[in-house]
Amino acid sequence: MDEEYDAIVLGTGLKECILSGMLSVSGKKVLHVDRNKYYGGESASICPLDELFSKFGAPPPDESYGRGRDWNVDLIPKFLMANGQLVKLLIHTGVTRYLEFKSVEGSYVYKGGKISKVPVDQKEALASDLMGMFEKRRFRNFLVYVQDYAEQDPRSWKEFDAQNQTMQELYEKFGLDKNTQDFTGHALALYRDDDYLQTAAITTIRRIKLYSDSLARYGKSPYLYPMYGLGELPQGFARLSAIYGGTYMLDKPIDEIVLGEGGRVVGVRSGNEVAKCKQVYCDPSYVPEKVHKKGRVVRCICLLDHPIPNTRDALSTQIIIPQKQLCRNSDIYISVVSFTHQVAAKGWFVAMVSTAVETDEPEMEIRPALDLLGPIKQKFVSVSDYFVPTDNGLESQIFISESFDATTHFETTCLDVLDIFKRGTGEEFDFSKIKHELGEEEQ
Amino acid sequence: MATIKIPEQKVILCGEYGVGKSSLFRRFTNNTFVTATDRQSTLGLDHFDKTYNVGDKSLKLQLWDTGGMERIASITSSYYKFAEAAIIVFSLDNSASFHSLSQHLLDVVTYAESAKIFLCGNKSDLEGEKPQVTDADIETFCEQCHNLISGVYKTSCKLADGIEEMFTDIACHLAESNRSRLELQTMKHHGFKVLPADEQTAEGSCLC
Ligand SMILES: Nc1nc2c(ncn2[C@@H]2O[C@H](COP(=O)(O)OP(=O)(O)O)[C@@H](O)[C@H]2O)c(=O)[nH]1
Ligand SMILES: [Mg+2]
Repeated sequence: MDEEYDAIVLGTGLKECILSGMLSVSGKKVLHVDRNKYYGGESASICPLDELFSKFGAPPPDESYGRGRDWNVDLIPKFLMANGQLVKLLIHTGVTRYLEFKSVEGSYVYKGGKISKVPVDQKEALASDLMGMFEKRRFRNFLVYVQDYAEQDPRSWKEFDAQNQTMQELYEKFGLDKNTQDFTGHALALYRDDDYLQTAAITTIRRIKLYSDSLARYGKSPYLYPMYGLGELPQGFARLSAIYGGTYMLDKPIDEIVLGEGGRVVGVRSGNEVAKCKQVYCDPSYVPEKVHKKGRVVRCICLLDHPIPNTRDALSTQIIIPQKQLCRNSDIYISVVSFTHQVAAKGWFVAMVSTAVETDEPEMEIRPALDLLGPIKQKFVSVSDYFVPTDNGLESQIFISESFDATTHFETTCLDVLDIFKRGTGEEFDFSKIKHELGEEEQ
Repeated sequence: MATIKIPEQKVILCGEYGVGKSSLFRRFTNNTFVTATDRQSTLGLDHFDKTYNVGDKSLKLQLWDTGGMERIASITSSYYKFAEAAIIVFSLDNSASFHSLSQHLLDVVTYAESAKIFLCGNKSDLEGEKPQVTDADIETFCEQCHNLISGVYKTSCKLADGIEEMFTDIACHLAESNRSRLELQTMKHHGFKVLPADEQTAEGSCLC
């Protein structure tokens, strides 16, 4: 450990692993340390099943759960947008070659106590039971407008200035009612609250396009999920870092981040050893005095021996409950994966319910979501604090990631990583240069 | 003209740090040998495809190196996923590397359940008069693992000895087991790779 590095990365959660990989690829000498014995931190998929039960203080699972080793249960539920930032990062870095994916089969939205398939194209919109006849036509016109909207071509704007006019105004231009606005904003544009209504429409247009472009890539739904669980993702990026010279240490407690002149980081101490460095990248758990709590997220892992009712027996699905439906300020998300992704024993499903905590009784808040799942064999609830760094790290050269939020995809995760990378290196990570000098596997 | 894609068989190298995994990988990729642990030459490259002809069939071995993660930390479990075969390497001049085989074997059967397992004693050029690991030791070990081991080889990366023979033999074993497996199961358990948009084939159905 007693060596000198350009950067020391603490924690092997997804964000830190992506950063470690990006830094190693850019030629930096990286030491990557985790206090745990395993890779992934909070982004790990727990295997075997006994470990999950004991983590939550439950008695060991009985034999109905099949082989414990067949389970890989995520602690933080998320999907990848097929055309989103994480997929671009995977392709750019070549990490995609370590992974296999499956498309998530369906995407549903909750309205008035029941769930309906999210209409994603004109045909589905016309068949959807979410809207009345006339509303369907208006919604179709809206979808066509968004689809044809080209930022470089003013003719496609149809006299609407999306850079300066709000989303609320765009909805009004098409005469969409509150219900339609609700599922458009939350199930297509994937907003967690309604602040977007008062911001420039262009952001929402881009988000809806991301949704439909993602959908266009693999059909069925815009989401992807990796075989063997999300824990494969940090491991893939860790491996990338290693093959570009990054050094890995697990099971290494960190006792101090050593500061030098002007409060700048000069190294990291573990016991009597000090590794010198110019920069530190880490998750909030390594620097409790440099982060503050911004909120709480409740997550509930549910093990089921059946698919979710009313989802056409989908082996994977997402259900969004828009905030307004339950008089809340933030949406509740349900994501379901199953044995088909090698994350559960044959015949089993893992449903995860998550949302931002708004009251003193988070478990009560997610009740309506749990009620959609049918009989639940086993349930594990956790409430975690959502931390953000107190400063941007430029002075201390300690760059801290935010905790994982309640969103069900990795877009905010990637934005945080890219922002940290830019602050740390002074350079933008360039997506446009998608390359794979790494392998010859292109067919 | 439509070309039939030859499926790759993922083959992983396992074993202690320093036994010669990267050297085997280097022999496999460009048939060279270096004495210095010169990481530069393999930086960024961690797997390589090579086609073998077995009887009338072609088979692509895709060999994976660890990336040196095992130097201090453990290897990620994802390294083992989707592996069709694992070559557990030890060094014939280092009995400690032989005694740690059972740990590596355990990792392979845990994380790469269906992989065929091969044993490779490397650095045969250093075996000398008084071998650190005898043939009897190796035989006893194989017996203890109840036929889990599909093949045993001795190689020298330095002298390029026994290496091509090993890979060819592994290719034969895989071709054999492929044949019986293809008859049994379909591809339905498999996921897919994500590729850049322009490489995406027409099979991704577009709903627009
Ligand atoms: N004499 C001899 N040295 C070898 C042989 N194979 C590898 N080495 C040396 O052993 C050292 C470690 O090899 P390396 O391939 O990096 O091991 P790895 O850590 O398992 O990847 C290097 O200095 C190699 O030159 C061999 O067959 N004979
Ligand atoms: Mg090596």
